[in-house]
Amino acid sequence: MGDIFSIYRIPVDVWVADGVDWLVSNARFIFQGIKWPLAQLLDGLEFLLHITPPLIFLILLFLFAWWASNWKVAIFSVAVFALIGFMGKGLWDYTMTTLAAVLVSVIVGAVLGIPLGIISARSDRFYAIIRPFLDMMQTTPAFVYLVPVVMLFSIGTVAGLIAVVIYSLPPVIRLTNLGIRQVPDDVVEASTAFGATPNQTLLKIQIPLALDTIMQGINQNIMLALAMVVMAALIGAGGLGVPVYEGLNALRIGLAAIGGISIVGMAMVLDRVTEGIGEKAPGKRE
Amino acid sequence: MPSIELEGVYKVFGDEPDKAVKLINEGADKDEVREKTGQVIGVQDISFEIKNNELFVIMGLSGSGKSTLLRCVNRLVEPTKGKITLRTDSEEYDVTTVDYETLRQIRETQISMVFQNFALFPHRTVRENVGFGLEIQGVGDKEKNRKSQELIEVVGLEGFGDSYPSQLSGGMQQRVGLARGLATGAEVLLMDEPFSALDPLIKVQMQVELLDLMEEMQRTVLFVTHDLDEALKLGHRITIMEAGKTVQKGTPEEIIVNPKTEYVANFVDNADPSDVLRAVTIAEKDFRVSEDNRVKINETTEVELSNGQEVEKGYLAGTPVSIEPLEGYDSPEKEVILYVSPDTPISEIMRARLNYTSTPVLVLKDQELVGFVTEQNLLHGLLEKGRG
Repeated sequence: MGDIFSIYRIPVDVWVADGVDWLVSNARFIFQGIKWPLAQLLDGLEFLLHITPPLIFLILLFLFAWWASNWKVAIFSVAVFALIGFMGKGLWDYTMTTLAAVLVSVIVGAVLGIPLGIISARSDRFYAIIRPFLDMMQTTPAFVYLVPVVMLFSIGTVAGLIAVVIYSLPPVIRLTNLGIRQVPDDVVEASTAFGATPNQTLLKIQIPLALDTIMQGINQNIMLALAMVVMAALIGAGGLGVPVYEGLNALRIGLAAIGGISIVGMAMVLDRVTEGIGEKAPGKRE
Repeated sequence: MPSIELEGVYKVFGDEPDKAVKLINEGADKDEVREKTGQVIGVQDISFEIKNNELFVIMGLSGSGKSTLLRCVNRLVEPTKGKITLRTDSEEYDVTTVDYETLRQIRETQISMVFQNFALFPHRTVRENVGFGLEIQGVGDKEKNRKSQELIEVVGLEGFGDSYPSQLSGGMQQRVGLARGLATGAEVLLMDEPFSALDPLIKVQMQVELLDLMEEMQRTVLFVTHDLDEALKLGHRITIMEAGKTVQKGTPEEIIVNPKTEYVANFVDNADPSDVLRAVTIAEKDFRVSEDNRVKINETTEVELSNGQEVEKGYLAGTPVSIEPLEGYDSPEKEVILYVSPDTPISEIMRARLNYTSTPVLVLKDQELVGFVTEQNLLHGLLEKGRG
């Protein structure tokens, strides 16, 4: 029968390489434009977190976690962050850098992901179009896009942040879409029947009722952002990925371990706290 | 003074409605259209008028198109063809062709709605639910809360303003739905099987309250139900739908006495006619006046007429007795002959027969004898629904 695949070769690899080359030489300014606001946001947050004395930070964390959830979560959160700090001052600084990156990823998730999720819920066609992109963002191995990201954004903190955002944005869009679609039809119909415009229905009925699902999206956004931290450190993101990466390179198991413990601890704290905010959502009245 | 007129309203679900309408006009039925074009007929060629302050009932089983038709009136479902006219004091709207903003304003101020499964907003308190329409109207907080509170009291939910819907029973939830529908001040109320999801006892209670509210608040109501007893009890007029078409239209009594198709007859056979049939319908009207102006009603009962048909005196076994109206009558020990007006429901005559008298009840119109109701007439009315 022979080898049918030897008849023709689709040169996707060449296309992609040429495409990226073209982007780098012709459209790099666009990516640099995207980079600027992200860099400002990230640097600003990072600066703020670094100048905050750890004790003040722990107190604020305690109060915030208490408001968002309950006193148990508040104590747990402070305990975890204190543990990180006592494992080493350097580790605390890495943690603040990573926290800044996670916060920016949450902001991008809210500013970009929630509106895209709302549009997806309103338009089947739009959702059908972006769905394959969401699949790609979540499943393409990071190593595949790390190099083009570096070529377009230069190595550094923002390049790492881009990698984090690519990976962590899809669940916000998916869960916002799901949450809004899950609002019962008759409730939306009732709103329309009383003369509400589609935007009024969205703001007064659909978003409040979808809020706990949207919060799950934000929660997943945070979890995935933390999962990406080590990978992002490879291209200069800094933060808790650095000790892990260095530990790995120099076979310093202990160093890698405390980095890893810090990432897991932070993930647990942020998970509990955002879960608490989700519980407060008005849709939970049902 | 709103009224609504529907003229030849069609709703076809599918992407080639014109084809389907054409087939229907050529005489095809719902199944044929579905087979040939893949289009589903929701409603076909419906016309009727709802008068001011009328409670008009659309009755039919599920799939008959009744809820679809109701939603055509405020265009939650877009009618395929036909005209729906809403007349208010100052304006006349062709609902089917108005632009979106006018339609939205009609929904906001002229036509409100109550839903089968309540469709309350679970994240809003009772007060916020009731005030929703006012919020859309842009009414200020103070006025909105005052009005909401007023309606909460009208439907008997004082003290529950800050509760959430999930904390209330089904009956209470639908009271919220009703208050929400009334709060906007819209004079037309669309009610989509509002009581179907309630327990039988609560349902009867809500029906009575709706009738009371109707007297108090002057609304024009289009009421959808699958329950004939409910239709008979509430409706001034009823239209019965089957497979998207009207099969019969009329007053409750007309439908009970004269069901036009077997479909309607099947419903009617299980209905209780005692509140619907009127005295005049079942009365014995074929009586003979003797030469001395007397009418013999049965073995022992006689009445004497004067001035033609006017009832003058009554006799029980030869003894003169007084003739008194049944309405307001309350002295069971006296020997009397009772009379009712022609429109009195037969349930009232039955109650009188049970409590006060064993003699037939006269049916008088302006004091003139129209007929009389004997035990025989009552039984015949109940079992044969006044037919034949």
